Amino acid sequence: MAKARVLDKRRRSIRNIRKITRTMELIATARFKKAMDRATAATAYTQRITHVVRSLARAGQEVRHPLLVPHETEKHAKLLVLTANRGLCGGYNANVIRLALKRWSEWQEAGIARMTLEVSGKRGISAFKFRRMPIDERYTQFEDQPKFDQVDQLATRYLDEYALGTLDRLDVVYTKFINLSKQVTVVETLLPLAALDTPQEQAAEQPRVALEYEFLPSAESILAEVVPMSFKVKLFKCFLDAAVSEQIARMVAMKSATENAGQMIKMLSLAYNRARQTQITKEIMEVIGGAEALK
Amino acid sequence: MGQIRCAVVTPERQELEVTGSFIVVPLYDGELGIGYNHSPLIGRLGFGELRVVDQGQVTHRYYIDGGFVQVEQNRVVLLTNRALPIQQLDAEAAHAQLRRALKMPALTEEQRAIRDRLIAQARTQIHLAGKR
Repeated sequence: MAKARVLDKRRRSIRNIRKITRTMELIATARFKKAMDRATAATAYTQRITHVVRSLARAGQEVRHPLLVPHETEKHAKLLVLTANRGLCGGYNANVIRLALKRWSEWQEAGIARMTLEVSGKRGISAFKFRRMPIDERYTQFEDQPKFDQVDQLATRYLDEYALGTLDRLDVVYTKFINLSKQVTVVETLLPLAALDTPQEQAAEQPRVALEYEFLPSAESILAEVVPMSFKVKLFKCFLDAAVSEQIARMVAMKSATENAGQMIKMLSLAYNRARQTQITKEIMEVIGGAEALK
Repeated sequence: MGQIRCAVVTPERQELEVTGSFIVVPLYDGELGIGYNHSPLIGRLGFGELRVVDQGQVTHRYYIDGGFVQVEQNRVVLLTNRALPIQQLDAEAAHAQLRRALKMPALTEEQRAIRDRLIAQARTQIHLAGKR
């Protein structure tokens, strides 16, 4: 009965694994929904702030701000890598890390004097540690629901550094959420800030009646506030996107793991039944053989 | 009298979406009342209280933590980092922040700006918490 028992044991353990992966899938689904709600709620703010910028632009105010101007030389570049705190989410972390390494070596070739690396998520931290790359800042506090206050602290520091000239460029590597079936790992340059709104949106908005706005205290001072704010929101969006994508990746990975476990159980059941049958046949033969010999 | 739609949006979520006949927003230099058919406006907000008045009654009172306000076609949109109903303000925490801020050094221009901001924020919160 040796072989059949081994097979049965394996089958049982795979059943347990399937239970675990199934639960993880359900948890990821629930978390994904929550993260998704937060991400959609955040778009309201982004849209409004874009609207404000557009109104400023339409009022003849030139959108000009120190954050929008690239520094003359790129000496200090910073790479912010957003990974997950946990694994078991398919290629999610690996993709981000691969892209980050690529950008890092590009910068090395370009000869940027000082490069700093900031990593969020335990997975990314251990991956860079394994490659013996020095990490300047590490964050593990961003779970599946990043808070704006937390991101705000980071953003304020980057803004200060950029203003002081100790930072010339900030790139963020994260997984961008496009829709439920598509998430892309991207590197985005957040500082210097690119144009504040996309041309397509502007074209769509054109036919509307232009309103004459009154600015309190003045258009310039509002612009001076809007630009840093939109940077913060952009960074926050990166974190939210990364959180949503992580949950989706985990959902998909766990779903296929559950399916695989199911298939394996099927195969093992077949093998187990066959082994058991062989065993029974063998025993019957032995009994018959013994009876025959006694005659 | 017509109705004005008022929305408060933070980066995390839409905090409030109500209608009222008169809205008071805290601008950087004092309060601004917005009635029906107010002219389009974009303004910078300070720390202070948002009041929505409907039929002579104050229906909503919120603490607003800076940001912007946009007024157009009887829609008032407040973009702010933080918005809290007045009842939820934590006076103790504000007192603590004030004490901390008063002890902060103010040697450079930036330090002074940060200190002033924290003090103004804390004082407004304490004031509003006392009014409820």
